[in-house]
Amino acid sequence: MKILIVEDEHKMAEYLCKGLTEQGCTVDLAANGIDGQHLAIEHDYDVIVLDVMLPGLDGFSVLRALRTIKQTPVIMLTARDRVEDRIKGLHDGADDYLIKPFSFLELLARLQALTRRGRVQEAPQLRIGDLQIDLLSRKAYRNNVRIDLTAKEFALLAIMARRQGEILSKTAIAELVWDMNFDSNTNVVEVAIKRLRAKIDAPFDDKLLHTIRGMGYVLEPRTDSIRAPYPDGDAP
Amino acid sequence: MRHSIIMRLVTMFAAAALVVFSLIGTMLYVVVKSELLRHERDGLVTTFNDIQYMVSHVGTAERWTHVQAKLDMLTPPDGKVRFWIFSEDAQYSYGKDLADLHDFDYDPNNIGRLRIKGKKFPMHTLTKVLPAYLDRPAIRLTVGVDTEPYFETLRTFVAAMIGLSLAGMLLVVLFGFWIARAGLQPLKKMSNKAQTLSPKTLSERLTLSALPDELSDLAQAFNGALDRMENAYKQLEAFNADVAHELRTPLANLIGETQVALSRERSAPEFEMVLQSNLEELDRLRSIINDMLFLARCDQGEAATSLVETVIADEVQKTIEFFEFVLDDMKMSVSVSGDTMASSQIETALFRRALTNLLQNAIQHSPAGACIDIGIYAKQEQVQVAVSNPGRPIEERHLPRLFDRFYRVDTARRDFNGIHGHGLGLAIVKAIARMHGGTAFAASQNGTTTIGFTVSGKAA
Repeated sequence: MKILIVEDEHKMAEYLCKGLTEQGCTVDLAANGIDGQHLAIEHDYDVIVLDVMLPGLDGFSVLRALRTIKQTPVIMLTARDRVEDRIKGLHDGADDYLIKPFSFLELLARLQALTRRGRVQEAPQLRIGDLQIDLLSRKAYRNNVRIDLTAKEFALLAIMARRQGEILSKTAIAELVWDMNFDSNTNVVEVAIKRLRAKIDAPFDDKLLHTIRGMGYVLEPRTDSIRAPYPDGDAP
Repeated sequence: MRHSIIMRLVTMFAAAALVVFSLIGTMLYVVVKSELLRHERDGLVTTFNDIQYMVSHVGTAERWTHVQAKLDMLTPPDGKVRFWIFSEDAQYSYGKDLADLHDFDYDPNNIGRLRIKGKKFPMHTLTKVLPAYLDRPAIRLTVGVDTEPYFETLRTFVAAMIGLSLAGMLLVVLFGFWIARAGLQPLKKMSNKAQTLSPKTLSERLTLSALPDELSDLAQAFNGALDRMENAYKQLEAFNADVAHELRTPLANLIGETQVALSRERSAPEFEMVLQSNLEELDRLRSIINDMLFLARCDQGEAATSLVETVIADEVQKTIEFFEFVLDDMKMSVSVSGDTMASSQIETALFRRALTNLLQNAIQHSPAGACIDIGIYAKQEQVQVAVSNPGRPIEERHLPRLFDRFYRVDTARRDFNGIHGHGLGLAIVKAIARMHGGTAFAASQNGTTTIGFTVSGKAA
């Protein structure tokens, strides 16, 4: 994936560049609006990450100039969380909007969502190690033994299985499973993961559901105890 | 020009004085005028009667000469009283300028006015025809009185009246000025006192006992405003302190932990542990800041957008589902009561957020195995959602402040089952209620705590 990052904050530009490169992306950096606009128009990127407040030329102007020429997906970044800004950005043709401070995981998820658009439908059967999930009959098996799950437990498992190897934050899980679209400050997700773990992992030696402290949870087989902290990426 | 109360009062005093003096003056003028006239008439009639008596019984030419001599004597030298007698027989006529006076008007009462050359004012006259007596034919007797003293007196009176009125008005203005100033003294004192109030003397108030009745209402209202301002000021100060404190704790953890980590050679897994721990603290910071920004946006009057007509009980059910596992773990149950068909215009994400905070709060403060009730009540335009749970009674004074940012009833109790609430949950409930044109409320009775909010079906 070829990504352009237009961001004047040096530290942020640096870690985004590093993180995305480690995910296997090709990343170009621009530190001001003028360079950003030039690069965005001259080259073909899969997605552009564009800060709103930039020296030289602000993000909205860059976006408007770009939209007159091409339809590269754009994610806007801003520290100002005002409805007018959001509306302005989306009106000017931004595809998505992230408010600082945002989590790197969320940016990754959004980038993937933008580039994944229009992909083929997923298979009705998922397999992680010896865990088998049938999304149609809503049943899960481990070692061909049926695991008895409640509806919400299955929903949680299915969501994690669809994104196997991807770290899901608590907020993302709350949103995907319960449609709770905010920082809820509750221990609901922890309790749910604990329950799921008791059913799918506790009786078995190979653990599949892992906690990444401070970030979230990931469902993946870890036979060799090497873990991939980032989804779809090469293990560092 | 800024209008001054004193000038207003003085002007009004002067106007009142002008009206009063004018009325009294006019009335006095009328009275004096009629009295003077009456007096003059009386004199005229008396004189006329005397003369008539003297003349009517004279019937011979010989005696008539006596009459003429007597009339000459009675006529004063300044001509203030004059007598005329007209007769066909010139012998019986009397008076100066008889030819000019032949016919002049007099009314049925025999009263007339007569202008005489060289006199400023007309004479008032009384005229009567006396029948013939012996040799004397019928004669017409006229007595005239000069009106100059009458008009002079009237003129003097008017001049005096106007002069006195003007002097009186001047006095009223001076007194009015003094009275207004003295009367407004309490107001000036109050304003002087109010000027000394500053943010440094926030708890000072105007003393009501020293003020007159009329001002005490104003002072009371002013003090009320000061009370509210002091509260807001204190809250703001406390709020700033709370914010600093809430941010300081995770920052201290971050700085300390990082410094400790860097002070020794450490293995990669050890550093990883530190970073993970730091991430947790950072997440806490992010969460506080996001919540505060949310509240700030609401304070700036951001209302709920994308309102959708929703059955409230459905949203309540979804929120309960969210807590399904937690409730199960704690052996708690939630019942929904009241008007389960009620619906309202709400922004579902915000509504869920508010209800999540309330339910979270109820779970935290209930003993294991408790039963929590969520009541939905539709009244008029509003729908009320109230979460009740058995819990320790909350003192009355805490209840309205539960929705204040960072307010804690029990400062020691902070963490619960690993959840670190940062004291903004109920403030957010209130903010969301406000964004839906509703309010938040709390009650504590018989060991049941009820906290809830209303939505009005329209954005505020």
